[in-house]
Amino acid sequence: MRPIIGITSYVLPATWGVWVDLESALVPHDYVEAIRLAGGRAVLLPPDDLDTDVLDRLDGLVLAGGPDVQPDRYGQEPHPATVTHPERDAAELALLHAALDRDLPLLGVCRGMQLLTVAAGGSLHQHLPDVLGHEKHRPGPGIYGSQSARFAPGSRIAALMGDDPTINCFHHQGVADPGALTVTGWAPDGLPEAVEDPDRSFVLGVQWHPETGRDRRLFGALVAAATKESTGTCADR
Amino acid sequence: MRRPLIGLTAYAEQVQYGRNDLMAGMLPMTYVKAVHATGGRAVLITPDDPGTDVLEALDGIVFCGGGDIDPANWGAPPHPATEVDKVRDRSELMLMGAALDAGLPMLGVCRGMQMMAVSTGGSLHQHLPDLVGHERHRAAPGTDPLAANASDYGRHDVVIEDETLAHRLFGRSLTVNSFHHQAVADPGAFLPVGWCPDDRVIEIVEHPGQPFALGVQWHPERTNDLRPFEALVEAAVRGRAVAA
Repeated sequence: MRPIIGITSYVLPATWGVWVDLESALVPHDYVEAIRLAGGRAVLLPPDDLDTDVLDRLDGLVLAGGPDVQPDRYGQEPHPATVTHPERDAAELALLHAALDRDLPLLGVCRGMQLLTVAAGGSLHQHLPDVLGHEKHRPGPGIYGSQSARFAPGSRIAALMGDDPTINCFHHQGVADPGALTVTGWAPDGLPEAVEDPDRSFVLGVQWHPETGRDRRLFGALVAAATKESTGTCADR
Repeated sequence: MRRPLIGLTAYAEQVQYGRNDLMAGMLPMTYVKAVHATGGRAVLITPDDPGTDVLEALDGIVFCGGGDIDPANWGAPPHPATEVDKVRDRSELMLMGAALDAGLPMLGVCRGMQMMAVSTGGSLHQHLPDLVGHERHRAAPGTDPLAANASDYGRHDVVIEDETLAHRLFGRSLTVNSFHHQAVADPGAFLPVGWCPDDRVIEIVEHPGQPFALGVQWHPERTNDLRPFEALVEAAVRGRAVAA
Protein backbone atom coordinates (compact mmCIF):
# COMPACT_ATOMS: atom_id res chain seq x y z
CA MET A 1 0.00 0.00 0.00
CA ARG A 2 1.29 3.44 -0.96
CA PRO A 3 1.59 6.00 1.81
CA ILE A 4 -1.48 8.22 2.05
CA ILE A 5 -0.74 11.92 1.91
CA GLY A 6 -3.42 14.40 2.97
CA ILE A 7 -3.51 17.74 1.15
CA THR A 8 -5.35 20.64 2.80
CA SER A 9 -7.83 22.34 0.50
CA TYR A 10 -9.60 25.58 -0.25
CA VAL A 11 -13.33 26.16 0.11
CA LEU A 12 -14.39 28.58 -2.61
CA PRO A 13 -17.27 29.32 -4.97
CA ALA A 14 -16.23 27.47 -8.14
CA THR A 15 -17.66 27.51 -11.65
CA TRP A 16 -17.58 24.58 -14.09
CA GLY A 17 -19.94 22.89 -16.53
CA VAL A 18 -23.50 23.97 -15.69
CA TRP A 19 -22.51 25.05 -12.20
CA VAL A 20 -21.92 28.68 -11.28
CA ASP A 21 -20.24 29.79 -8.05
CA LEU A 22 -20.99 26.56 -6.20
CA GLU A 23 -19.19 26.35 -2.87
CA SER A 24 -16.56 23.65 -3.39
CA ALA A 25 -13.59 22.05 -1.71
CA LEU A 26 -10.72 22.25 -4.17
CA VAL A 27 -6.98 22.28 -4.57
CA PRO A 28 -4.93 22.76 -7.75
CA HIS A 29 -4.51 19.36 -9.34
CA ASP A 30 -0.75 19.92 -9.53
CA TYR A 31 -0.50 18.91 -5.86
CA VAL A 32 -2.31 15.62 -6.49
CA GLU A 33 -0.16 14.88 -9.52
CA ALA A 34 3.03 15.73 -7.63
CA ILE A 35 2.12 13.23 -4.89
CA ARG A 36 1.11 10.56 -7.41
CA LEU A 37 4.31 10.92 -9.43
CA ALA A 38 6.33 10.69 -6.22
CA GLY A 39 4.66 7.35 -5.35
CA GLY A 40 2.07 8.46 -2.79
CA ARG A 41 -1.73 8.35 -2.73
CA ALA A 42 -3.25 11.79 -2.26
CA VAL A 43 -6.51 12.50 -0.47
CA LEU A 44 -7.89 16.04 -0.16
CA LEU A 45 -8.80 17.33 3.28
CA PRO A 46 -11.63 19.87 3.32
CA PRO A 47 -11.32 22.19 6.33
CA ASP A 48 -12.89 20.70 9.44
CA ASP A 49 -12.38 22.14 12.87
CA LEU A 50 -14.10 19.39 14.84
CA ASP A 51 -11.00 17.34 15.48
CA THR A 52 -7.89 15.91 13.88
CA ASP A 53 -8.81 12.21 13.92
CA VAL A 54 -8.19 11.95 10.17
CA LEU A 55 -4.45 11.98 10.96
CA ASP A 56 -4.79 8.40 12.26
CA ARG A 57 -5.14 7.29 8.64
CA LEU A 58 -2.53 9.56 7.05
CA ASP A 59 1.18 8.90 6.57
CA GLY A 60 2.05 12.46 5.61
CA LEU A 61 0.54 15.92 5.24
CA VAL A 62 0.88 18.73 2.71
CA LEU A 63 -0.19 22.19 3.88
CA ALA A 64 -1.07 23.70 0.52
CA GLY A 65 -0.96 27.28 -0.70
CA GLY A 66 -3.89 29.60 -0.18
CA PRO A 67 -5.01 32.86 1.42
CA ASP A 68 -3.18 34.84 4.11
CA VAL A 69 -3.05 33.67 7.71
CA GLN A 70 -5.11 35.82 10.08
CA PRO A 71 -2.67 38.36 11.58
CA ASP A 72 -4.15 38.00 15.08
CA ARG A 73 -2.65 34.50 15.04
CA TYR A 74 0.73 36.24 15.41
CA GLY A 75 -0.40 39.31 17.31
CA GLN A 76 -0.81 41.90 14.54
CA GLU A 77 -3.55 44.06 13.09
CA PRO A 78 -4.47 43.25 9.48
CA HIS A 79 -2.77 45.15 6.63
CA PRO A 80 -5.21 46.47 3.97
CA ALA A 81 -3.82 43.95 1.45
CA THR A 82 -4.28 40.96 3.80
CA VAL A 83 -7.01 38.53 2.70
CA THR A 84 -7.85 35.74 5.11
CA HIS A 85 -10.05 32.68 5.44
CA PRO A 86 -10.43 32.16 9.20
CA GLU A 87 -12.17 28.76 8.93
CA ARG A 88 -9.26 27.35 7.02
CA ASP A 89 -6.78 28.78 9.54
CA ALA A 90 -8.58 27.12 12.44
CA ALA A 91 -8.81 23.74 10.71
CA GLU A 92 -5.25 23.74 9.39
CA LEU A 93 -3.63 24.95 12.60
CA ALA A 94 -5.43 22.20 14.52
CA LEU A 95 -4.19 19.62 12.01
CA LEU A 96 -0.70 21.10 12.02
CA HIS A 97 -0.31 21.03 15.80
CA ALA A 98 -1.64 17.47 16.01
CA ALA A 99 0.65 16.39 13.16
CA LEU A 100 3.66 17.91 14.94
CA ASP A 101 2.67 16.13 18.17
CA ARG A 102 2.74 12.77 16.41
CA ASP A 103 5.80 13.66 14.30
CA LEU A 104 3.92 13.10 11.04
CA PRO A 105 5.99 14.06 7.96
CA LEU A 106 4.91 17.56 6.89
CA LEU A 107 5.51 19.69 3.82
CA GLY A 108 4.29 23.30 3.90
CA VAL A 109 3.96 25.15 0.59
CA CYS A 110 3.73 28.98 0.48
CA ARG A 111 0.84 29.62 2.91
CA GLY A 112 1.77 26.23 4.39
CA MET A 113 5.27 27.48 5.24
CA GLN A 114 3.73 30.60 6.77
CA LEU A 115 1.39 28.45 8.88
CA LEU A 116 4.35 26.36 10.06
CA THR A 117 6.02 29.60 11.08
CA VAL A 118 3.00 30.92 12.97
CA ALA A 119 2.53 27.56 14.71
CA ALA A 120 6.18 27.73 15.78
CA GLY A 121 5.62 31.11 17.43
CA GLY A 122 6.97 33.20 14.56
CA SER A 123 5.47 36.07 12.60
CA LEU A 124 4.98 37.25 9.03
CA HIS A 125 5.51 40.35 6.90
CA GLN A 126 1.97 41.13 5.77
CA HIS A 127 2.82 42.84 2.50
CA LEU A 128 6.29 42.31 1.09
CA PRO A 129 6.33 45.22 -1.40
CA ASP A 130 6.12 47.55 1.65
CA VAL A 131 9.14 45.84 3.22
CA LEU A 132 11.30 44.99 0.22
CA GLY A 133 10.30 47.71 -2.24
CA HIS A 134 9.93 45.28 -5.14
CA GLU A 135 7.43 42.75 -6.57
CA LYS A 136 9.81 39.92 -7.48
CA HIS A 137 7.98 37.43 -5.25
CA ARG A 138 4.70 38.08 -7.11
CA PRO A 139 5.37 39.82 -10.43
CA GLY A 140 1.70 39.95 -11.49
CA PRO A 141 -1.59 38.05 -11.52
CA GLY A 142 -0.90 34.43 -12.40
CA ILE A 143 2.83 35.06 -12.97
CA TYR A 144 5.42 33.25 -10.88
CA GLY A 145 8.63 35.02 -9.97
CA SER A 146 11.58 32.86 -10.92
CA GLN A 147 14.51 33.35 -8.57
CA SER A 148 17.71 31.62 -7.61
CA ALA A 149 17.72 30.71 -3.93
CA ARG A 150 20.63 30.14 -1.56
CA PHE A 151 20.45 27.23 0.90
CA ALA A 152 22.20 26.61 4.21
CA PRO A 153 25.00 24.05 3.74
CA GLY A 154 24.12 20.77 5.43
CA SER A 155 20.38 21.50 5.57
CA ARG A 156 17.71 19.11 4.31
CA ILE A 157 16.61 21.51 1.60
CA ALA A 158 20.16 22.05 0.35
CA ALA A 159 20.56 18.28 -0.08
CA LEU A 160 17.19 17.96 -1.83
CA MET A 161 17.67 20.86 -4.25
CA GLY A 162 21.16 19.78 -5.28
CA ASP A 163 22.59 21.70 -8.22
CA ASP A 164 19.45 23.57 -9.27
CA PRO A 165 18.44 26.36 -6.86
CA THR A 166 15.73 27.80 -9.14
CA ILE A 167 12.46 28.56 -7.35
CA ASN A 168 9.14 29.99 -8.55
CA CYS A 169 7.37 32.29 -6.12
CA PHE A 170 3.87 33.71 -5.95
CA HIS A 171 3.21 35.40 -2.63
CA HIS A 172 2.88 38.85 -1.10
CA GLN A 173 3.57 37.84 2.49
CA GLY A 174 6.73 36.33 3.91
CA VAL A 175 8.39 35.04 7.06
CA ALA A 176 9.60 37.82 9.36
CA ASP A 177 10.48 35.78 12.45
CA PRO A 178 10.74 31.98 12.01
CA GLY A 179 9.94 31.28 15.67
CA ALA A 180 11.32 27.90 16.73
CA LEU A 181 12.07 26.89 13.14
CA THR A 182 15.42 27.15 11.38
CA VAL A 183 15.62 29.20 8.19
CA THR A 184 17.53 27.11 5.65
CA GLY A 185 16.90 28.95 2.37
CA TRP A 186 16.88 32.56 1.22
CA ALA A 187 15.92 34.58 -1.86
CA PRO A 188 18.57 36.93 -3.31
CA ASP A 189 16.95 39.76 -1.30
CA GLY A 190 17.45 37.83 1.94
CA LEU A 191 13.82 36.81 2.44
CA PRO A 192 13.42 33.35 4.04
CA GLU A 193 12.39 30.82 1.39
CA ALA A 194 12.72 27.56 3.35
CA VAL A 195 12.26 26.58 7.00
CA GLU A 196 12.91 23.29 8.77
CA ASP A 197 12.47 21.76 12.18
CA PRO A 198 15.64 19.74 12.77
CA ASP A 199 14.14 18.17 15.92
CA ARG A 200 11.43 16.34 13.98
CA SER A 201 11.80 13.61 11.39
CA PHE A 202 10.44 15.61 8.44
CA VAL A 203 9.12 19.15 8.75
CA LEU A 204 9.90 21.33 5.75
CA GLY A 205 8.33 24.57 4.59
CA VAL A 206 9.05 26.26 1.27
CA GLN A 207 7.83 29.67 0.20
CA TRP A 208 7.80 28.78 -3.51
CA HIS A 209 5.55 26.37 -5.46
CA PRO A 210 7.28 23.02 -6.11
CA GLU A 211 3.93 21.43 -7.10
CA THR A 212 3.72 23.38 -10.39
CA GLY A 213 6.74 21.43 -11.68
CA ARG A 214 5.71 18.27 -9.75
CA ASP A 215 9.15 18.55 -8.16
CA ARG A 216 10.08 15.00 -7.18
CA ARG A 217 12.98 16.21 -5.10
CA LEU A 218 10.61 17.64 -2.48
CA PHE A 219 7.48 15.51 -2.90
CA GLY A 220 9.66 12.41 -3.24
CA ALA A 221 11.33 13.22 0.08
CA LEU A 222 7.95 13.68 1.75
CA VAL A 223 6.65 10.37 0.36
CA ALA A 224 9.85 8.60 1.43
CA ALA A 225 9.47 9.96 4.97
CA ALA A 226 5.78 8.97 4.92
CA THR A 227 6.70 5.47 3.76
CA LYS A 228 8.88 5.09 6.82
CA GLU A 229 5.99 6.38 8.94
CA SER A 230 3.62 3.91 7.27
CA THR A 231 5.92 0.94 7.88
CA GLY A 232 6.53 1.98 11.45
CA THR A 233 2.88 2.21 12.42
CA CYS A 234 1.18 -0.48 10.36
CA ALA A 235 0.88 -2.76 13.38
CA ASP A 236 -1.51 -0.24 14.95
CA ARG A 237 -3.97 -0.26 12.08
CA MET B 1 -14.08 7.87 19.45
CA ARG B 2 -12.54 8.54 16.09
CA ARG B 3 -15.12 9.28 13.40
CA PRO B 4 -15.33 6.83 10.50
CA LEU B 5 -13.37 8.02 7.49
CA ILE B 6 -15.58 8.40 4.42
CA GLY B 7 -13.99 8.78 0.98
CA LEU B 8 -15.84 10.94 -1.56
CA THR B 9 -15.06 10.36 -5.23
CA ALA B 10 -14.17 13.77 -6.65
CA TYR B 11 -13.68 15.58 -9.91
CA ALA B 12 -10.42 16.49 -11.62
CA GLU B 13 -11.90 19.39 -13.50
CA GLN B 14 -11.05 22.69 -15.15
CA VAL B 15 -12.71 25.21 -12.80
CA GLN B 16 -12.92 28.96 -12.52
CA TYR B 17 -12.66 30.69 -9.15
CA GLY B 18 -11.72 34.27 -8.47
CA ARG B 19 -9.24 35.18 -11.20
CA ASN B 20 -8.11 31.57 -11.56
CA ASP B 21 -8.92 29.12 -14.33
CA LEU B 22 -7.15 25.84 -13.61
CA MET B 23 -7.36 22.09 -13.27
CA ALA B 24 -8.41 21.26 -9.72
CA GLY B 25 -9.22 18.25 -7.63
CA MET B 26 -12.63 19.32 -6.35
CA LEU B 27 -16.10 18.51 -5.08
CA PRO B 28 -19.10 20.59 -3.98
CA MET B 29 -18.97 21.18 -0.22
CA THR B 30 -22.52 19.89 0.20
CA TYR B 31 -21.17 16.32 0.11
CA VAL B 32 -18.51 17.14 2.70
CA LYS B 33 -21.03 18.84 4.97
CA ALA B 34 -23.46 15.91 4.67
CA VAL B 35 -20.75 13.51 5.86
CA HIS B 36 -19.64 15.78 8.69
CA ALA B 37 -23.23 16.47 9.78
CA THR B 38 -23.89 12.75 10.12
CA GLY B 39 -20.78 11.95 12.15
CA GLY B 40 -18.17 10.98 9.57
CA ARG B 41 -14.93 12.61 8.46
CA ALA B 42 -14.78 13.24 4.71
CA VAL B 43 -11.72 13.06 2.46
CA LEU B 44 -11.80 13.62 -1.29
CA ILE B 45 -10.55 10.82 -3.54
CA THR B 46 -9.35 12.28 -6.83
CA PRO B 47 -9.85 10.22 -9.98
CA ASP B 48 -6.40 10.57 -11.49
CA ASP B 49 -4.98 7.61 -9.77
CA PRO B 50 -5.82 4.09 -10.94
CA GLY B 51 -4.77 2.30 -7.73
CA THR B 52 -7.40 1.20 -5.19
CA ASP B 53 -5.13 0.89 -2.14
CA VAL B 54 -6.69 4.01 -0.61
CA LEU B 55 -9.74 1.88 0.24
CA GLU B 56 -7.71 0.20 2.99
CA ALA B 57 -7.73 3.49 4.87
CA LEU B 58 -11.47 4.11 4.51
CA ASP B 59 -14.48 2.97 6.55
CA GLY B 60 -16.96 3.89 3.82
CA ILE B 61 -17.17 5.52 0.41
CA VAL B 62 -19.56 7.77 -1.50
CA PHE B 63 -19.61 7.61 -5.28
CA CYS B 64 -20.66 11.18 -6.01
CA GLY B 65 -22.52 12.94 -8.80
CA GLY B 66 -20.83 14.07 -11.99
CA GLY B 67 -20.85 13.65 -15.76
CA ASP B 68 -22.22 10.77 -17.81
CA ILE B 69 -20.65 7.31 -17.78
CA ASP B 70 -19.17 6.22 -21.11
CA PRO B 71 -21.75 3.92 -22.77
CA ALA B 72 -18.88 1.87 -24.19
CA ASN B 73 -18.83 0.30 -20.72
CA TRP B 74 -22.08 -1.51 -21.56
CA GLY B 75 -21.44 -1.79 -25.27
CA ALA B 76 -23.70 1.01 -26.54
CA PRO B 77 -22.81 3.84 -28.94
CA PRO B 78 -22.97 7.33 -27.38
CA HIS B 79 -26.19 9.36 -27.61
CA PRO B 80 -25.62 12.93 -28.90
CA ALA B 81 -26.48 14.31 -25.43
CA THR B 82 -24.00 12.06 -23.61
CA GLU B 83 -20.94 13.83 -22.19
CA VAL B 84 -18.41 11.46 -20.66
CA ASP B 85 -15.45 11.71 -18.30
CA LYS B 86 -13.39 8.63 -19.12
CA VAL B 87 -10.66 9.26 -16.57
CA ARG B 88 -13.18 9.39 -13.76
CA ASP B 89 -15.03 6.36 -15.16
CA ARG B 90 -11.90 4.23 -15.16
CA SER B 91 -10.95 5.21 -11.63
CA GLU B 92 -14.45 4.78 -10.17
CA LEU B 93 -15.07 1.44 -11.89
CA MET B 94 -11.87 0.13 -10.30
CA LEU B 95 -12.69 1.62 -6.92
CA MET B 96 -16.23 0.26 -6.96
CA GLY B 97 -15.13 -3.22 -7.99
CA ALA B 98 -12.56 -3.30 -5.18
CA ALA B 99 -14.99 -1.79 -2.66
CA LEU B 100 -17.63 -4.42 -3.49
CA ASP B 101 -15.01 -7.17 -3.16
CA ALA B 102 -14.05 -5.79 0.25
CA GLY B 103 -17.64 -5.27 1.42
CA LEU B 104 -16.89 -1.60 2.13
CA PRO B 105 -20.06 0.34 3.00
CA MET B 106 -20.97 2.50 0.00
CA LEU B 107 -23.47 5.12 -1.06
CA GLY B 108 -24.03 6.05 -4.70
CA VAL B 109 -25.46 9.48 -5.53
CA CYS B 110 -26.86 10.17 -9.02
CA ARG B 111 -23.90 9.24 -11.27
CA GLY B 112 -22.71 7.08 -8.34
CA MET B 113 -25.92 5.03 -8.43
CA GLN B 114 -25.56 4.67 -12.20
CA MET B 115 -21.97 3.52 -11.62
CA MET B 116 -23.32 0.74 -9.35
CA ALA B 117 -25.39 -0.59 -12.25
CA VAL B 118 -22.67 -0.27 -14.88
CA SER B 119 -19.87 -1.70 -12.74
CA THR B 120 -21.88 -4.87 -12.07
CA GLY B 121 -22.88 -5.57 -15.68
CA GLY B 122 -25.94 -3.32 -16.00
CA SER B 123 -26.74 -0.48 -18.37
CA LEU B 124 -28.25 3.01 -18.55
CA HIS B 125 -30.83 4.94 -20.52
CA GLN B 126 -28.67 7.63 -22.09
CA HIS B 127 -31.24 10.38 -22.43
CA LEU B 128 -34.41 10.17 -20.37
CA PRO B 129 -36.50 12.71 -22.32
CA ASP B 130 -36.33 10.30 -25.28
CA LEU B 131 -37.75 7.55 -23.08
CA VAL B 132 -40.31 9.26 -20.87
CA GLY B 133 -41.18 12.24 -23.06
CA HIS B 134 -40.62 14.95 -20.43
CA GLU B 135 -37.81 16.85 -18.70
CA ARG B 136 -39.03 16.60 -15.13
CA HIS B 137 -35.91 14.78 -13.95
CA ARG B 138 -33.73 17.73 -14.91
CA ALA B 139 -34.11 21.46 -14.34
CA ALA B 140 -33.63 24.13 -16.98
CA PRO B 141 -30.01 24.65 -18.08
CA GLY B 142 -28.21 27.53 -16.43
CA THR B 143 -30.26 27.50 -13.23
CA ASP B 144 -29.18 25.95 -10.01
CA PRO B 145 -31.62 23.08 -10.13
CA LEU B 146 -30.95 21.91 -6.62
CA ALA B 147 -31.29 25.22 -4.81
CA ALA B 148 -33.96 25.32 -2.11
CA ASN B 149 -35.89 27.94 -4.06
CA ALA B 150 -35.60 26.20 -7.43
CA SER B 151 -38.69 25.79 -9.59
CA ASP B 152 -40.89 22.72 -9.38
CA TYR B 153 -38.82 21.20 -12.13
CA GLY B 154 -36.82 18.32 -10.80
CA ARG B 155 -38.99 17.42 -7.82
CA HIS B 156 -41.03 14.26 -7.70
CA ASP B 157 -42.13 11.38 -5.50
CA VAL B 158 -40.41 8.04 -5.07
CA VAL B 159 -42.29 4.87 -4.11
CA ILE B 160 -40.39 2.11 -2.35
CA GLU B 161 -40.65 -1.68 -2.28
CA ASP B 162 -41.55 -3.31 1.05
CA GLU B 163 -39.00 -5.24 3.10
CA THR B 164 -35.92 -3.55 1.70
CA LEU B 165 -33.10 -1.52 3.18
CA ALA B 166 -34.56 1.52 1.42
CA HIS B 167 -37.97 0.89 3.00
CA ARG B 168 -36.41 0.71 6.47
CA LEU B 169 -34.67 4.02 5.79
CA PHE B 170 -37.37 6.01 4.01
CA GLY B 171 -40.69 4.21 4.52
CA ARG B 172 -43.11 3.73 1.62
CA SER B 173 -42.47 6.99 -0.18
CA LEU B 174 -40.62 10.28 -0.15
CA THR B 175 -40.29 13.42 -2.27
CA VAL B 176 -36.90 14.08 -3.83
CA ASN B 177 -35.07 16.66 -5.91
CA SER B 178 -33.77 15.56 -9.28
CA PHE B 179 -31.04 16.58 -11.70
CA HIS B 180 -30.16 13.93 -14.24
CA HIS B 181 -30.84 13.13 -17.87
CA GLN B 182 -29.70 9.51 -17.73
CA ALA B 183 -31.12 6.68 -15.63
CA VAL B 184 -30.60 3.03 -14.78
CA ALA B 185 -32.02 0.65 -17.40
CA ASP B 186 -30.54 -2.64 -16.11
CA PRO B 187 -29.27 -2.46 -12.48
CA GLY B 188 -26.76 -5.30 -12.93
CA ALA B 189 -26.13 -7.12 -9.65
CA PHE B 190 -28.07 -4.46 -7.71
CA LEU B 191 -31.82 -4.63 -7.04
CA PRO B 192 -34.14 -1.79 -8.04
CA VAL B 193 -36.21 -0.93 -4.94
CA GLY B 194 -37.54 2.59 -5.55
CA TRP B 195 -39.19 4.23 -8.57
CA CYS B 196 -40.64 7.52 -9.71
CA PRO B 197 -44.36 6.60 -9.81
CA ASP B 198 -45.11 8.73 -12.90
CA ASP B 199 -42.68 7.09 -15.29
CA ARG B 200 -41.21 4.07 -13.45
CA VAL B 201 -37.69 5.50 -13.67
CA ILE B 202 -35.50 3.65 -11.14
CA GLU B 203 -34.64 5.96 -8.24
CA ILE B 204 -33.11 3.61 -5.63
CA VAL B 205 -30.96 0.48 -5.90
CA GLU B 206 -29.45 -1.68 -3.18
CA HIS B 207 -27.32 -4.81 -2.96
CA PRO B 208 -28.64 -7.49 -0.58
CA GLY B 209 -25.30 -9.33 -0.63
CA GLN B 210 -23.35 -6.35 0.71
CA PRO B 211 -23.13 -5.02 4.28
CA PHE B 212 -24.36 -1.62 2.99
CA ALA B 213 -24.61 -0.64 -0.66
CA LEU B 214 -27.32 1.89 -1.50
CA GLY B 215 -27.71 4.03 -4.60
CA VAL B 216 -30.06 6.99 -4.96
CA GLN B 217 -30.76 8.88 -8.18
CA TRP B 218 -31.46 12.18 -6.41
CA HIS B 219 -29.16 14.53 -4.46
CA PRO B 220 -29.72 14.09 -0.70
CA GLU B 221 -26.60 16.18 -0.01
CA ARG B 222 -28.49 19.21 -1.33
CA THR B 223 -31.38 18.75 1.12
CA ASN B 224 -31.99 18.56 4.85
CA ASP B 225 -32.88 14.89 4.54
CA LEU B 226 -29.51 13.24 5.14
CA ARG B 227 -30.85 9.77 5.95
CA PRO B 228 -28.74 8.08 3.23
CA PHE B 229 -25.57 9.62 4.70
CA GLU B 230 -26.61 8.74 8.27
CA ALA B 231 -27.13 5.14 7.21
CA LEU B 232 -23.75 5.03 5.46
CA VAL B 233 -21.91 6.43 8.49
CA GLU B 234 -23.69 3.96 10.80
CA ALA B 235 -22.71 1.10 8.50
CA ALA B 236 -19.12 2.39 8.44
CA VAL B 237 -19.01 2.33 12.26
CA ARG B 238 -20.47 -1.19 12.31
CA GLY B 239 -18.01 -2.35 9.64
CA ARG B 240 -15.08 -1.05 11.61
CA ALA B 241 -16.25 -2.84 14.75
CA VAL B 242 -16.45 -6.11 12.78
CA ALA B 243 -12.99 -5.57 11.27
CA ALA B 244 -11.48 -4.88 14.70
